Amino acid sequence: MNELIPLMVIVPLMAALLISAFSRFNKVTKIFAFVVAICLPIIPIASNYGLHYFGGYEPMLDNVTNVMFHPAITYSFSFPQQIFIAMIGLLTFLVVFIYLTKYKEVSGPYLFLLFLGTAAVTAMLLTDDIFHMFVFFEILALAQVGIVAASSIDYSYEMALKYMILGSIGSPIMLLGIGFLLALTGSVNVTDIAAAVHNGLVDMTSPVFLLSLGLIFFGWLYASGLPPFHTIKSGIYSKAEPHGAALLQSFTVISMISIVLIMFRIYSSLPIFEVLVVFFSILAMILGVSLALTQTDFRRMIGFLAVGELGFIGLGIGLGTQYAITAGLFQALNEIIITALLFIGFGAIVNATNEVDTRKLGGLLAYHPKVSIMLLIGGLAMAGVPPLSGFQSKLMLVQASLSCGFPEISILAIMVSIATFVVFVKTFYAMFLRPKPNDLEVEGKEVPRSMIFAMGILLIIIILLGIFPDMVINGISSFVGGML
Amino acid sequence: MKLYDQIFDVVKQFRKLFSPGPVTNADVSGSITAEIFIIVSIVLAAILLRHVSVLLAGLVTLILAIVLISNIPLIPKFKIEQEDSLEKMLFYAIVVLCIIVVFLYWGGNLV
Amino acid sequence: MAHVQLAILFTSAALVIIGLYSAIFIDNIIKKIIGISFIEEGANLFIVAIGYKPGGVVPILMPGMDTSWFASNAAYPLPFGLVLTSIVIGASTLAVMLALVMVLYRRYGTLSTKVMLADTSKQEEYDE
Repeated sequence: MNELIPLMVIVPLMAALLISAFSRFNKVTKIFAFVVAICLPIIPIASNYGLHYFGGYEPMLDNVTNVMFHPAITYSFSFPQQIFIAMIGLLTFLVVFIYLTKYKEVSGPYLFLLFLGTAAVTAMLLTDDIFHMFVFFEILALAQVGIVAASSIDYSYEMALKYMILGSIGSPIMLLGIGFLLALTGSVNVTDIAAAVHNGLVDMTSPVFLLSLGLIFFGWLYASGLPPFHTIKSGIYSKAEPHGAALLQSFTVISMISIVLIMFRIYSSLPIFEVLVVFFSILAMILGVSLALTQTDFRRMIGFLAVGELGFIGLGIGLGTQYAITAGLFQALNEIIITALLFIGFGAIVNATNEVDTRKLGGLLAYHPKVSIMLLIGGLAMAGVPPLSGFQSKLMLVQASLSCGFPEISILAIMVSIATFVVFVKTFYAMFLRPKPNDLEVEGKEVPRSMIFAMGILLIIIILLGIFPDMVINGISSFVGGML
Repeated sequence: MKLYDQIFDVVKQFRKLFSPGPVTNADVSGSITAEIFIIVSIVLAAILLRHVSVLLAGLVTLILAIVLISNIPLIPKFKIEQEDSLEKMLFYAIVVLCIIVVFLYWGGNLV
Repeated sequence: MAHVQLAILFTSAALVIIGLYSAIFIDNIIKKIIGISFIEEGANLFIVAIGYKPGGVVPILMPGMDTSWFASNAAYPLPFGLVLTSIVIGASTLAVMLALVMVLYRRYGTLSTKVMLADTSKQEEYDE
């Protein structure tokens, strides 16, 4: 049923508005939020693939020039969109579940922000219209600022304001780039623009076209948290509540891949595009991991690691072949799950001990064995240890860069994986294995069972994807083949 | 003994990085790992330039290696540059914007 | 009449550059936010300028108009719709930024960015 396609955006949006309007009734809000959160992963799985034209305006064929025009905003839904939206829906369900069971009185506006962010990334992934994507990108930025400001951690307001200021410089620059594209081709539909570029109607060496690439690329750097925006991204991950941070990083990954796929369709015939993407991805990988190695606050450590892993995704997409882009998208899927697991796990530790400095922790294996084992497996998955999912995607990336003729990038990817492994071994030892310092109070505070349930589900998905990656890879590969 | 003293000075500078607070072996070894990792990975990434011109790649790699190894305690300088203040973040963002615009406007046809 | 469009483009470029300068170099947080608003309005003005047509009519099809004459003489209506959305986005981000500034002003008592948005990583490392 193609009518379910716009529902994937409308359901969380309407739920967000209703929850924030009627948040006085606590019990009703909780039940309603829970029901909507359960529906979110079910709708994309139940929906058929296809296109949806808003307003019913079918594409028109111009008889004189034989070119198809798309006058309506188009949502296109196929296998990668299905798997990513289902994963985001599942993650939203787990995060909302943790939030609802943690507090007696829930905040309507906070649930509004969580659902608004989910609706925004779903729309960004589905849309075929570049301005529509920009609008939802701005909505996502507002939701992210709200989620950071709503946390009870010190200095969260300052971090939210810094993010807002940097964002308000990055987003209008992207809008200028979209304006240049509109001026060149007269359309904001990505299919039309890509057709105009590939048929030679747009001069690809004109400075206006190149400037549009530069400006939209800068906006993409802000959206995905690649350097120079890696410090602010890891800053907001460290200042949001742990379950909020788990959702924030998934928003970042999805907005990154949706914008870069649109840019790829328009600019792929320019070799400078791939050079830029690969350059900034390598920079992200190097800076992310080396800064993570020097952190003692483990929230910041995961924040920097999350930013560094985004470099792998950009690397896959920047290499440009079908195998490499499939590897990049598969890495994105694994990143969402693994980083969410790590954020929720470390959030459980913060809950139990009220302490974020690894120098003051120790000996927690005896008190929280389940959390520590799940965190260890999550960390190994991020570092790329077989038979977990991180290994499959990183192996694909190494093979892709070798087959493109860049063995230096393969060596670099392997080194970054080794450094990530070092980070995890160091942190795991410091927090769980060494003897407990005398002044650390680990009273009978239990880790909430909802968090352990969420981590368990994510862990099952990691192990499943590690053992049977072909479930996902074949579908993504055929989509990428159709795009190229 | 001089070389040993030099290396020990580097380790002492890492200890200053983590104060105030206890400095554990794990943290200092993590910083030394990060140091070696940064130097090796930047030099390795510079070898990628061989697709543009082999001479340029060789030259840039040698210069980078010499510059990086002679300023050995790199991690404290990195940590200071990557702090949270808005001015530093804005500075790097605008530098990257200018580099991207200039590079694309004048050099976009070259590649 | 094409120099009308050129004048609009120059104005939008001036707005963006002035906005960038004040968002980066000025210390007062309110002036920074005004500069950010300038950047957004400059981008909106640029998109409006794309829809300009010399000697064109307002793109509203009145009853009795010949459609082919209308199609070749009306200004391009797509950018106007996009800009409406963009103005609303600018207004909402402005509201959120000002709300955050209000809270921070009550906490710090000053509007200077050096004090308000300074580095916090060293202070909190040992405070937790």
